[in-house]
Amino acid sequence: MSAELVNIVINGVPLTVPAGEMIIESARRIGVEIPHFCYHPRLSKEAGANCRMCLVEVSAPRRNPDGSVVVAKMPKPQTSCSLPASEGMVIETETPAIVEARRGILEFLLINHPLDCPICDRGGECPLQNNTLHYGPPTTRFVEQKRHLPKAFPLSDYVVLDRERCIHCARCTRFSGDVAGDAQLGFLKRGADMEVSPHTGERFTSLFSGNTIELCPVGALLSRSYRFRGRPWDLMTQKSVCTQCSNGCNIKLDHRAGRFVRVNARVNEAVNEEWTCDRGKFGMEYLARDDRLQAPLIRRGARFEQATWDEALAVVARALGDAGAKSAFLGGTRSANEDLYVVQRLFREVLASNNLDHRMGPDFVAVGAGAMASDGRPTPPVSFGELEDASVFVAFGADMAWEQPMAYLRLRKAWRRGTIRLVSVAAKGSAEDERPNSLASMAAAVVRHDAGHEVEAAWLMLRQVVAAIGSDDPLTDEVRRQLAGVKLSPEAIGCSPQELATAAAVIVGEAPAEPTATGKLAIWIGETAVRRPGMKDILAALGAVAALSRYDGRVSVPATEVNEQGARDLGISPDTGPGYRAVRPAGLNTAAILSGVADGSVRALWISGTDVVGRYWDPPAAIRALEACPFLVVTDLHLTPTAQMADVVLPVASVAERNGTFTNVEGRVQQFLKAYDPPSGVRQEWRIAMQVAARLGSAMHYASSREMLADIAATVPIYVGCGPDALGDEGKRWFAEEVAGQ
Amino acid sequence: MAGNAEISGARGPSNFSAEAVAELNEIVSHYPEARAAMLPALWIAQREYGGEITSEAISEVAWRLGRPVVEVEGVATFYTMYHLGKRGRRHLEVCTCLTCAVLGAADTVRALEDRLGIKVGQTTPDGEFSLAEVECLNWCEAGTVVQVGGRYYGNVTPDNVDALIEAVRTAADATATAQADGIVKVHLGKAGASVSPSSQAESFDG
Amino acid sequence: MGELRVLLEHRDTPGIETLDVYRSTGGYEGLARAVSMSRADVIAEVKASGLRGRGGAGFPTWIKWQGIPADAPMVRYVVCNADEGEPGTFKDRELMLKQPHMVVEGMAIAGYATNARYGFVYIRGEFLESAQAIRRAIDEAYAQGYLGPGVCGSSHSFDLFVHMGAGSYECGEETALMSSLMGERGQPRAKPPHAPLPVISGLWQRPTLINNVETYSCVPHIIRRGGAWYASMGTERSKGTKLFSVSGHVKRPGNYEIELGTPLPELVELAGGVTGGSLKAVIPGGSSVPILTAAQCGDVRLDYESCQAAGTMLGSGGFMVFNEHTDIVALMHVTARFYAHESCGKCTPCREGTRWMYQIFRRITAGQGRPEDIDLLLSICNNIDGRSYCPLGDAAAWPIRASIQRFRDEYEYWIANGTSPLGATATPKVS
Ligand SMILES: Cc1cc2nc3c(=O)[nH]c(=O)nc-3n(C[C@H](O)[C@H](O)[C@H](O)COP(=O)(O)O)c2cc1C
Ligand code: SF4
Ligand code: FES
Repeated sequence: MSAELVNIVINGVPLTVPAGEMIIESARRIGVEIPHFCYHPRLSKEAGANCRMCLVEVSAPRRNPDGSVVVAKMPKPQTSCSLPASEGMVIETETPAIVEARRGILEFLLINHPLDCPICDRGGECPLQNNTLHYGPPTTRFVEQKRHLPKAFPLSDYVVLDRERCIHCARCTRFSGDVAGDAQLGFLKRGADMEVSPHTGERFTSLFSGNTIELCPVGALLSRSYRFRGRPWDLMTQKSVCTQCSNGCNIKLDHRAGRFVRVNARVNEAVNEEWTCDRGKFGMEYLARDDRLQAPLIRRGARFEQATWDEALAVVARALGDAGAKSAFLGGTRSANEDLYVVQRLFREVLASNNLDHRMGPDFVAVGAGAMASDGRPTPPVSFGELEDASVFVAFGADMAWEQPMAYLRLRKAWRRGTIRLVSVAAKGSAEDERPNSLASMAAAVVRHDAGHEVEAAWLMLRQVVAAIGSDDPLTDEVRRQLAGVKLSPEAIGCSPQELATAAAVIVGEAPAEPTATGKLAIWIGETAVRRPGMKDILAALGAVAALSRYDGRVSVPATEVNEQGARDLGISPDTGPGYRAVRPAGLNTAAILSGVADGSVRALWISGTDVVGRYWDPPAAIRALEACPFLVVTDLHLTPTAQMADVVLPVASVAERNGTFTNVEGRVQQFLKAYDPPSGVRQEWRIAMQVAARLGSAMHYASSREMLADIAATVPIYVGCGPDALGDEGKRWFAEEVAGQ
Repeated sequence: MAGNAEISGARGPSNFSAEAVAELNEIVSHYPEARAAMLPALWIAQREYGGEITSEAISEVAWRLGRPVVEVEGVATFYTMYHLGKRGRRHLEVCTCLTCAVLGAADTVRALEDRLGIKVGQTTPDGEFSLAEVECLNWCEAGTVVQVGGRYYGNVTPDNVDALIEAVRTAADATATAQADGIVKVHLGKAGASVSPSSQAESFDG
Repeated sequence: MGELRVLLEHRDTPGIETLDVYRSTGGYEGLARAVSMSRADVIAEVKASGLRGRGGAGFPTWIKWQGIPADAPMVRYVVCNADEGEPGTFKDRELMLKQPHMVVEGMAIAGYATNARYGFVYIRGEFLESAQAIRRAIDEAYAQGYLGPGVCGSSHSFDLFVHMGAGSYECGEETALMSSLMGERGQPRAKPPHAPLPVISGLWQRPTLINNVETYSCVPHIIRRGGAWYASMGTERSKGTKLFSVSGHVKRPGNYEIELGTPLPELVELAGGVTGGSLKAVIPGGSSVPILTAAQCGDVRLDYESCQAAGTMLGSGGFMVFNEHTDIVALMHVTARFYAHESCGKCTPCREGTRWMYQIFRRITAGQGRPEDIDLLLSICNNIDGRSYCPLGDAAAWPIRASIQRFRDEYEYWIANGTSPLGATATPKVS
């Protein structure tokens, strides 16, 4: 949209708006809400303007043959949702003609719409119901047969479709085609027989299907899990953050009578705009599970017995105290920053142990901060905004839409705008290729190699890039040496040389249609690569690729768990404390801790919120270790396989039952607020840590998560800008500039 | 612009003959985007799949053009000339729109129902004929007009429906497949040879 | 005034569909002349001729041609709208079938005048016979250098393709036609004031000229014999000749080419006069235009302005004549069915309104009419008219509204008695 401004008049009020802004938006500037159904600012205009609800009367300047200009009224009313503002436009939104037009449109929308509002989940928050109340006809003049179509037709595990209620606004079809890119929903047939549908016989398997439920302006697309669970007016809602991945989508957590009911997206332009993914929207259902732990458990022989908190804390304090420097902590990637901060203080300050780690892969390279600047100052991870503005993005061993859903939507947005070129490097048969939403489907280059050859693929990519550039100038001798050692051919790992060459050309920035000579290159290393040995090599090779590219390149190993970034930032690592301050002596990393519990060098282990048995890259090794563990305490919501191996299990409060903050994949610290009270028998993790410390004679004095966040902001340099009062609803990315002074 | 790459061309059913594939490729070359060949591709499919657009045919068109399946189904179900169910080899379509209606199309339809022993919307047991009423065929000067395959028959009345049926029985171009083939063929010709998609996209733009 | 054959002058010349015979009648002289002129001069001739679009809207042709940014560095397209789907119209079918080279030549000239590199003839799927004639003409024209690289030895290259529809009246609407040509469902696209005209951003966002078959067919004659000559025919504001497809209750139905401004009754006479009884009503411009009573017909002249004045439109020239036995309510039942069947479904008023009106007509002609249905129909027409996304909605409302205004008594009779006011001889028969 051009920055040029134009003067228009709406209902007699003169205003200045950007040329080309849709009149429906301009009207909002002066508090005039024009009723509408199909319009949505994030959906394409081409298939829009179909409901005709937003009609307004328009006059615009017209030049006569003799050159004189008159402001002439257009003979027909115009849809304000698709009408670009232009100089001198005069708009009327409430004339008798418009009032009558709206009534007519609503009558048309209602003649075939079932009268089942009383049993419709949308009732109470239904745009059709609301607009009918304000603008609709008093009675119906329709005495014919209503359209009859299958009701409650399941499109997927999550979404049901009631075709009788559909008003054909094309919101869902535009979302699935444009925003999510799976294009699984479309219109079939025509005229009054037109139906929204996936391809006959197929299911709506999009990873983003849940958004269509919120976009639907009637009760045609509904959530299967929420169906008949509640009525909007008896729901309470709270600002929260999705815990299902590191992207940290802002959500509205709806609850009733102290129980989780559903998740809706909460707008945060910087993070999830107004989307969620199905992993989150429906995955949060775990909050309503019935098998929540209600009280501490202590192992007596083969079985657990319920215990009081005093008993349990006494046991835990004794065990940790006895172990002292031989105690260790694992996990924390699902805990709040406040928990992590207190826990690491307990271990470092009270137990004198640096044996903390959150990493579950085989390699323990420093990936915490996005990167370390030359002066050793940490730089925050790449933001979604930076991602969207990048010129080239490379996904290496990543299943983007699944691992980084919001990053995927941003990349798709940029791709549709034509400003980014995408490269997908992954193992053959990787999940990515089975998804309805995949980066590969948009990629300028797709490289596939035999499974298990990530390391070779990375070196081959470097070799190809060196060839494309015709120089290996900025490379370190170390990398040169390693590269020289790479002898195998692309074919040897089942990868096509052409694919590799195309990818290299895109990465280097030589391809034709190159949008900008300058720009940023972002390389993201995904889960498949992280969970296999060889990360050091991959980082070395891809780091060199980024250095060689004509773009300003940067390699990231993005966090994947909700607060994995927080765990990195706040020092759940053996060698770096909060804010990446180096700690001496370095403690044990995950692998060493697990072998340590076996050989006695670790005597007590606390696992927090992570099912190590399921998450550690080498599960058998994890199980062997935990079986041999002298003392294991697990803090979690449920009795996970890991918890089942514990000596003491401590139940903690969920994200819905407390306040706190998470740090998302961009290094953005975001608040979540308590929606309802926790079960009486559970406690917050940071309180548990404080109570253990107290029992060991070192009291910490925090009364609330707010106090802790204030302390974090005061003592952790990179979080200086992220104090409780700085976050607001959008959250705040940490940054190291603040450190400069210190 | 939504390029073909958008939905990766996952392969699917492959019942197009080599000739059909060659025809499709030539037609695709008439446009800057493969998607534009959607209607011709469906005509090819209607011929290759024996006068019917089956779900398989839709999948084949989808992957050959690199388009979402539901999009292809959306197009196939929008236009009335694609046969989404089995029809007779010779599909009689009687215009019952304004002029033809005024000139007695209704009687002609009844007469055809009697002679063929089927009602509108049905197919004869031998699969030879099916009967339908259609909107304006735009040859009103010859009402009542009946279309069979690629051919129009004019001035049809209850008195000459027998003659019509006889003529249709033998007419080579009266079958649904012949019609589809004819429609595919008119897309092809000299023009095709002189243009490739790239030349369309780049000859001026770039 | 009266019959005046320009386009149809050689309709009966044997072999006129072949290039040689066509050339012997002056064919392709217009194209040869055009490429020897500047693009601006070609458009000037079209302007001088006063030619207006023959597809229904009657928009001045030269303004569209002028609107194409002919020098901008991008591909331009010329499209022939051969979707002829307006009930009552069959002129384009004959032009393509009998004189395909005239259409091809007209498009080639338009291609030169707008500096367009490619052309498409969008022909409705049902018109296979016409399409085959066009195909043969295109291939002949290529062989003789009238199409392809260096048209007529000029430096201008023009490739012409055939694109067949598959059964949708809406695809005749120019933006829906573009959707269909680009492989989409035949639904319309945004237009001013919401988006640029097709001449600025049409097919694949490139400048696109869309004219009707008859419009293009006029062009060779205009270039060959001069715009002034063409403008010498017709009336002050409706220049030249126009094809009318006469059908219904007349002795000699068919296409007639008359000078614009000819009195309506003269055309009825040309077609041999009314058959089966006295004249009751005429729909002069295709099913979309308001119906005229016999009484109104007397002093209507067939040109854009006087049709307008008489409360109807020239439209596409689909001239339907109805005798005294015609049941107007039944006729409108058929009309309502047509638009309900052809509504693309994109916008609310047309999708829901056309189906609703058809349902009401079905009820009335089944003897279940209610007195309030008449005003209900009028109200539905008003709720569609002017509020739909594309003009199909308006076109569905106009004829029904006019029929009620002009034949209300027949509606009242149907509703009161549950049968046709015309008894056993009534036509058409419905339901
Ligand atoms: C519903 C509808 C159907 C139309 N059908 C046709 C058609 O079949 N042929 C045609 O030439 N124009 C048709 N038109 C008019 C076209 O939109 C367009 O005005 C015309 O092709 C422009 O060409 P012209 O300026 O030469 O008349 C139709 C318009 C509407 C609204
Ligand atoms: S008026 Fe609306 S529904 Fe009707 S054809 Fe046009 S866009 Fe489609
Ligand atoms: S909101 Fe403008 S037409 Fe639907």
